[in-house]
Amino acid sequence: MASRRAFLAGLAAALAPRLTWAEAGSPAFLAAARAGDAYLLHGLAETGASLFALPLPARGHAAAAHPTLALAVAFARRPGTFALVIDCIRGTTAARLTPPKGRQFNGHGTFTADGGLLITTEQAAETSEGVLGLWETETWARVGEWPTGGIGPHDLRRLPDGRLVVANGGIRTDPSDRRKLNLDTMRPNLTLLSAKGEILDQVALPEALHQNSIRHLTLHGEAIAFAMQWEGDPAEAVPQLGLWRPGHAPVACPPDDTQAFAMKGYAGSIAAAPGLVALTSAPGGALMLFDAAGRPQATHRRADLSGVALGPRGLVATDGQGGIWAVAADGLQLLAHHPLAWDNHLVSLA
Amino acid sequence: MPLARILALTLALAVAPPARADFPETLRDHILPGVAAFRDATAALAEAATTGCDPQALRPPYQAAFDAWMAISHLRIGPAEEDGRALAIAFWPDPKGLGWKQQQALLTGDPAALEPQAFARQSVAARGLFGLERLLYPTEPLPADPCPLIRATTSDLARMAAEIDAGWTGGYAKAMLTAGAPGNTLFLGGPEVRQALFTLLYAGLEFDGDQRLGRPMGEPSRATPAKAEAIASGRSLRNVLISLQSLRGMLVSLTPDAPRTVAAFDHAIALAEGLDDPVFAGVATPEGRLKVEILQQAISHLREVALEEAAPELDVGIGFNAADGD
Repeated sequence: MASRRAFLAGLAAALAPRLTWAEAGSPAFLAAARAGDAYLLHGLAETGASLFALPLPARGHAAAAHPTLALAVAFARRPGTFALVIDCIRGTTAARLTPPKGRQFNGHGTFTADGGLLITTEQAAETSEGVLGLWETETWARVGEWPTGGIGPHDLRRLPDGRLVVANGGIRTDPSDRRKLNLDTMRPNLTLLSAKGEILDQVALPEALHQNSIRHLTLHGEAIAFAMQWEGDPAEAVPQLGLWRPGHAPVACPPDDTQAFAMKGYAGSIAAAPGLVALTSAPGGALMLFDAAGRPQATHRRADLSGVALGPRGLVATDGQGGIWAVAADGLQLLAHHPLAWDNHLVSLA
Repeated sequence: MPLARILALTLALAVAPPARADFPETLRDHILPGVAAFRDATAALAEAATTGCDPQALRPPYQAAFDAWMAISHLRIGPAEEDGRALAIAFWPDPKGLGWKQQQALLTGDPAALEPQAFARQSVAARGLFGLERLLYPTEPLPADPCPLIRATTSDLARMAAEIDAGWTGGYAKAMLTAGAPGNTLFLGGPEVRQALFTLLYAGLEFDGDQRLGRPMGEPSRATPAKAEAIASGRSLRNVLISLQSLRGMLVSLTPDAPRTVAAFDHAIALAEGLDDPVFAGVATPEGRLKVEILQQAISHLREVALEEAAPELDVGIGFNAADGD
């Protein structure tokens, strides 16, 4: 039988008004961080100031922000066996999501436009076959799953009309130790699904780039911009950026010859502003800017730069030494500097 | 008088310090002298090429320039990264042979492409030390007189070396020395400078072990000696040795308190000095491959010790996101 305290807490939660992001200070971004030995989820203002910092039990990865309510879903690092729904005003855990037996979270998720459903990228632990997990957001019950049409799904995006695009990274991993098992035969793809989970379209890059794992996405006008991580020979110069307009073939967008290895074959995050796409590489210590057609514009250097997202005033990037930077065509401008390490992703609440 | 000597004298006169090591010393004793020496060596090579293109005569200054590069090739930061200079100076590995393809086109094509401004826009793979290696130590007859291309390549190399030196003395060293000062967005504090330098040291060791040794070693069942670096100029092992010696110098300039790391360096250096296999051709036999593998293991061990001892000593680590991304 539930304890009296748990009963009262549950009652309180059920009766409590569900507060919006305005009550949390209207953060522009969410960002996970490590401070000493502690892991935290921060809400950041567009100035880079921290509005709140909530403890996480383990290193956080990407987060999914509810469109209106002050709720964030923080995913454990993949292969993830839990996700926490965090009430960002009370600083409490509203729910703990666990994938069904045999499934693992892959670190990313998105809410539907009305916030009624949370959609998570997951894979079968044994085979790495991808599914989208569906969770309704009143009681956080899992209500279904859809195949993603590929292996190792990672990031996903919801299009304005409700369709979903998923980056199937293509990498089969060992269930216990994350070892990559199929690099010789991997076939990443981008899959477009309807709002009801039917696969509408699917594309892959040419054979020569089959080892370029498609991992992160952002919407860019009519197109989907995708960021890749190369699993082939590190001495081979390959693109990190691609653009896909559904109904057309995907286009690979290589950097300038002089910056061929600035990203070390690895893009960690991607974000877009009107006319601009930004990729980050922590191993390369670089942020690369491209124009709307995917032509390289500039490379800015900053050690351990990883998170990048679109804020109210433009693109913002975060690094592992605590820096928060405004991204402009001619350089990075320091907005704020915190005594902690920002983690891989910066999540926009736009 | 070279800037490095001026700095050394100034420091010596200004204070009578106990032995200390931190990033100002790394700048003074390791970085600035190294980039100046590379500038001078490439200038001498370009000068030699203007008086004559005989490969036999150019090989000694070429080897000297490559030695000077190996002392600073790990400084992949600031001026070396601008305009892809480091890539244009030494493009290796080149698994698809892009450099040679481009050079053949330059040898037989429009001489206007060899004019300094046009040449500077040619593919990074075609230029620099490996471009010169293919011209000065050709393995097959060249399709045309290489003299114009040799002159264009040596002159382009000397230009980039001078730009790297100017970048350091003209502002980048100062940015490190004034880390944390208002408006300095390159380095937000001394710890970031130490972090950056340690990362360069660690990455340099990784490249030596994984690429310089790893490529020719291939797999235990299938070594690939043809993939060694700088075979034609006979430098594969020499590059590893100079790199290790230079990285050791960088370490001792950066911290006085990493004796185990220094010992691990000395061990790896001794192995490299004792290895009688200048282009790692020996990996074709099990015994020969084992000897190279022992050196590779010594470098792996050295990296581990550096992380265990030197990194905490410097209060740095491998970048949070770079170490374990997504």
